Amino acid sequence: MGGMTRFFKSLFLVELLKGMRLTGRYLFSKKITVQYPEEKTPQSHRFRGKHALRRYANGEERCIACKLCEAVCPALAITIESEQRDDGSRRTTRYDIDLSKCIFCGFCEESCPVDSIVETREYEYHGETREDLLMTKEKLLAMGDKYEEEIAADRAKDAIYR
Amino acid sequence: MGDKKVTIEVNGQEIETQAGRMLIEIADEVGIPVPRFCYHKKLSVAANCRMCLVEMQAMREGMENPVVPACATPIGDGMKFYTKSPKAIAAQKGVMEFLLINHPLDCPICDQGGECELQDIAIGYGEGYSQYTEAKRVVKNKDLGPLIATDMTRCIHCTRCVRFGEEIAGTRELGMIGRGEHTEITTYLEHSISSEMSANVIDLCPVGALTSKPFRYSARSWELNNVDAIAAHDCVGSNIIVQTLHNKVKRVLPRENEALNEVWLSDRDRFSYLSQTHTERLETPMIKKGGEWQCCDWNTALTTLVAELDILVKDKKNTIGALLSPSSTLEEGYLLQKIVRGMGQHNIDFRIRQQDFSQQTLDPLYPHLGVNIDDISTLDAVMLIGSNIHKDQPIIGHRLRQAVLKNDTKVMAVSHRQYSFHFPVTENIIVHPQRIALQLAGIAKALLTLNNASAPTGLKEVIDDMLITDIQQKMAEKLQAAKRGHLILGNMIYGLEDYAQIRMLASLIASLSECNIGYLTEGANAAGLAIAGCLPHRKEVGKENNQDVGLHAQEMLSKTLDAYILLGIEPELDTLNPQQAINTLTASSMVVVMNAFVTDTMKQYANILLPISTPLETSGTFVNTNGMWQSFTGAVSPYKEARPAWKVLRVLGNLFELDDFDYRSSEEVKESIASKYTAEKFDNRIIWQEHLFENRINNVNNEPIRISDVPGYAIDAMVRRADALQDSLDMQIADKVLMNEKLAQVLQCHADNIVEVEQLEGSGKFIVAIDESIPDDCIYIPSAVAATTNLAAPFSTVSIKE
Amino acid sequence: MAEIRNYTMNFGPQHPAAHGVLRLVLELNGEVVQRADPHIGLLHRATEKLAESKPFNQSIGYMDRLDYVSMMCNEHAYVMTIEKLLGITVPVRAQYIRVMFDEITRILNHLMWIGAHGLDIGAMTIFLYAFREREDLMDVYEAVSGARMHATYYRPGGVYRDLPELMPQYQASKWHTQAEVNKLNENRQGSLLDFLDDFTQRFDTYVDEYETLLTENRIWKQRTVDIGIITPERAIALGFTGPMLRGSGVEWDLRKKQPYEVYDKMDFDIPVGVNGDCYDRYLVRMEEMRQSNRIIKQCIRWLRDNPGSVMLEDHKLTPPSREHMKEDMESLIHHFKLFTEGYSVPEGQAYAAVEHPKGEFGTYIISEGANKPYRLKIRAPGFVHLSALHEMVEGHMLADVVAVIGTQDIVFGEVDR
Repeated sequence: MGGMTRFFKSLFLVELLKGMRLTGRYLFSKKITVQYPEEKTPQSHRFRGKHALRRYANGEERCIACKLCEAVCPALAITIESEQRDDGSRRTTRYDIDLSKCIFCGFCEESCPVDSIVETREYEYHGETREDLLMTKEKLLAMGDKYEEEIAADRAKDAIYR
Repeated sequence: MGDKKVTIEVNGQEIETQAGRMLIEIADEVGIPVPRFCYHKKLSVAANCRMCLVEMQAMREGMENPVVPACATPIGDGMKFYTKSPKAIAAQKGVMEFLLINHPLDCPICDQGGECELQDIAIGYGEGYSQYTEAKRVVKNKDLGPLIATDMTRCIHCTRCVRFGEEIAGTRELGMIGRGEHTEITTYLEHSISSEMSANVIDLCPVGALTSKPFRYSARSWELNNVDAIAAHDCVGSNIIVQTLHNKVKRVLPRENEALNEVWLSDRDRFSYLSQTHTERLETPMIKKGGEWQCCDWNTALTTLVAELDILVKDKKNTIGALLSPSSTLEEGYLLQKIVRGMGQHNIDFRIRQQDFSQQTLDPLYPHLGVNIDDISTLDAVMLIGSNIHKDQPIIGHRLRQAVLKNDTKVMAVSHRQYSFHFPVTENIIVHPQRIALQLAGIAKALLTLNNASAPTGLKEVIDDMLITDIQQKMAEKLQAAKRGHLILGNMIYGLEDYAQIRMLASLIASLSECNIGYLTEGANAAGLAIAGCLPHRKEVGKENNQDVGLHAQEMLSKTLDAYILLGIEPELDTLNPQQAINTLTASSMVVVMNAFVTDTMKQYANILLPISTPLETSGTFVNTNGMWQSFTGAVSPYKEARPAWKVLRVLGNLFELDDFDYRSSEEVKESIASKYTAEKFDNRIIWQEHLFENRINNVNNEPIRISDVPGYAIDAMVRRADALQDSLDMQIADKVLMNEKLAQVLQCHADNIVEVEQLEGSGKFIVAIDESIPDDCIYIPSAVAATTNLAAPFSTVSIKE
Repeated sequence: MAEIRNYTMNFGPQHPAAHGVLRLVLELNGEVVQRADPHIGLLHRATEKLAESKPFNQSIGYMDRLDYVSMMCNEHAYVMTIEKLLGITVPVRAQYIRVMFDEITRILNHLMWIGAHGLDIGAMTIFLYAFREREDLMDVYEAVSGARMHATYYRPGGVYRDLPELMPQYQASKWHTQAEVNKLNENRQGSLLDFLDDFTQRFDTYVDEYETLLTENRIWKQRTVDIGIITPERAIALGFTGPMLRGSGVEWDLRKKQPYEVYDKMDFDIPVGVNGDCYDRYLVRMEEMRQSNRIIKQCIRWLRDNPGSVMLEDHKLTPPSREHMKEDMESLIHHFKLFTEGYSVPEGQAYAAVEHPKGEFGTYIISEGANKPYRLKIRAPGFVHLSALHEMVEGHMLADVVAVIGTQDIVFGEVDR
């Protein structure tokens, strides 16, 4: 590039005008903005959000208190206490997930031999106290009941990969 | 065989060892891993799991290398083995695959998961996937009682439990029936296991077929914290591991100690932790004010206590008595006697079930078994006097059984009831308890005759016109012939009125036959408490206290003192005469109860209740019957407001403004005793006391008397509240009255009828059972069970009404 | 004459241009920097220590959180070290997936960098453009792993799951009609690879756009040309790696010099700078994005044609499929043990490094034969670069400090660890 060309390019603000042309083009083009929260970006069926405990179709909770999720949890966010229920089955008496510790790695779901603990697509939650972020067994089961259809559909989609 | 040295090669590593040993033992010694299920170092070799297959160099050229089981291959010179050759690995993988074919997919719900040998070996030696797609077999679960849960489908037929029953427990209750796929482990008669060591099969079972019932589903092995501790229920001091989770005891396991419990643990030591959260646990200090119980804080309780006791002490002499459980720790005992003695008193005793204290000055420094527990197997002849050894001291019973099996030890028994020992008893004298002394005198006479010795002064008149029975003669001969003979005084002996005479005679027999003599004691720490000075006639480390002997346990409970301190005992169950104990304590104006538990009876006589920790919650030291000092730390923090008793006593000492009470830890307390104590070797035989037999051996009246013993699962407050133990077969006796057919006819009692038994002013209802193990004129009613709290001391007359 | 003293001031830790929690103590003579002293540690989370108490796999998630703008690359170094200790080779398909995602990550990182760097020194627009593309790539992250950032996707022995055959789609709303949504979903009709393919077609144009905005821009050049010059010799002596080193003209790239996974089968170039100033490093990174795009295209092509396993089929190390776990005993046992105890790694030590977007990111593990590392050491490129900050800004104006921090591409997750 000759000195002359550079001088004129600089004098007439060529590179700035080129930039302006680009931004101007985008100014008048279709916007890609998504109007959250009425509208949401696509979400993968593998999404790892807030946890849920699932039930079988007959209403029996799936969890058998094997504690694999508790053992595999890198953040020690899961606390389980278990006992023998009156019918002789192995059940939890306490199943807590501390969302303020959880790192959403998904290992609990990977480890669960009965597809009980799962991570749902739910990501819009907040807590105003620490207790709000402590998912108790009741809260987890309620999550499961609420999203069961979606959870089941998502697992079915992903079954061939796991 | 024998000591011949041979050299073998395993994986190219040369090893020199004795010929004839099994390859697996040697591999274990040098740390070469060999997988196994059925092999266990304490059990015989069964070689039925085939997991330990290894390749062996063929003996002859041209032969193919055979694959042999390492557990059943005795080694010879020059043998070569390969544990990781392709052939060995293929064999191991094959066996593993077959073992897993019928194993159910239970890991997630199985308590063994995480500590399962099948899992570990499948990971280490098995394939990563299965080729098996057919149906798996299902086996019905068996009911083995309240301690052992069964999931028999998981069983891999290693037969460790069967061999344990035959070889260790001696009860032969489990067996294997069927063949091939129909093989099952089962009880012969579909009943619960009665062995006092039964729960060891839980540890032995390599899979989850036999698991702990009380522990069931409550925790995972990897989340438990392990704390080393000492078992608190017999004089062996078995080493244990206490496993806790969230500050709760979840499980107790044996800790290997070849000198004491090897790898075993009695059910009592294993399951007593169940009482930790019993509803009767005392939660806070309580004070009785105007007949009403009020909870209060420690400060209030202790200041009230000190204020009240101070007034009493300043006024007169002999007003305070302290009774403590023989399972109190050394530190607790030492501090308690220091407080009592600091007040100028000597009324302290832990021998709460003893009746005859007349010769207490002859007691050894501490009650010693007289033989090391791991030397029991070398004894030639053992005479048990008044001992239900298996139930009272399971580990010593097990050792004795091994001695009988391996060393052909002759065991003889003199007792007031025929106990079912798990080994053959060569001679058995079952008599009315008041005739035990006479029987021993007979044996002594036989020995005197054998030795051509003359009877010692005082005894001559008694035995002169006595006839020696055949059994007495045989016993004498066996003891005389034994190179290492031993007499053992059992737990029941202390309750007899003529304990001093019996001991004297036993000692005489021991001297004549050149045998040794030993004591089995109640509780975990009788030896330690004797050393700590919890005796009316001796201060710490056995310093004699001849000028100012205090009151012993019987005296303290027969004459009402002004104040009592009770540490860890429930007098209505733990003393010989509950009726008398309750009356005396109720009459006293001040009873301080330091206990982990509280009952309504306790609330009747107590004035102040102080919650203390159980042995699992406190640090301390137990001295076992071999004089081994074993210290431990608390596995969990004390329940609610309870505090370790040594801390409470230390604070009390400060509040009473006594000297030298500034201990900061239980180790410091222990150290202050240990620094004064020098261990000495001593002989339990005592010098002949002429005057003992001046008024002959006591007379027998022919009225039926109550005989008794403490059932194995009623010995202390913790064990009595371990529900699973209370549900076991052994405790079915708790509400029974036993007598033989002959007496039943005389008394017109019929089996299964409910009768009312009266003793002095109290009575209790019992179910009649006919039992030929009871001698004539004797009625057996157990002690330390709820039904007998209104009765008086055993070995006295009772009356029976329909 | 009045005594003139240097003025000392704190830059950060809350300054927006401090890229997180950098506290820089600057000694100024007027506006000229005499001394720059970075204080670090405000984001220290003891990742290395934490890893000592967990089975190997449980620390993968913590690797994501080191350099939190190049997540999978961090994971890559960690799992590669474990694989080296275990002596295993991962399936080829998994290697391609890893290479592809390493390059996606590189683009993600560089986009983040160009956005933030531009913002710091006065170019506002580029930030929005860069984030527009990041959105697509994060969708890819999410589609494959379920998380937009902290993927926990790489595992010793491969990657957790194969690429999905479905991409999530936009839904119609009161803001967008079905027709509009259909348009948005056009590139989401097929598999993840289709979506990514579409992205790679578009991406070169995007980079052109960035260059239109910046490369010749006089303000941009004024702010970056001849700023923070590092000679090749000093760059090597200071331990620089990645674009920081290549900007000075040293042609060093682990992907070429010590190829790992399938980089040796990839066709791509290594851009190098001439002057070693901020501008050259900018040019290097822009070109790297184009080269990454090339690599991704090659990976897509291969991955389309070669289905297969993405995880080692050795269940002593990797869990069996869920179907098998529920049906056969061996699989269940291996599943159970892997998720409770994990696997044991033979005794020994290993170091493995990847060409991370920021430079050489490596992990060094000492194993005692247990199921957890005895020691884990992380070699973070940002830490090395930051330590040369003083040398790079000495004699520059205060405003140039921001340009240098930007060009170093510092992320405190990895610096503080």
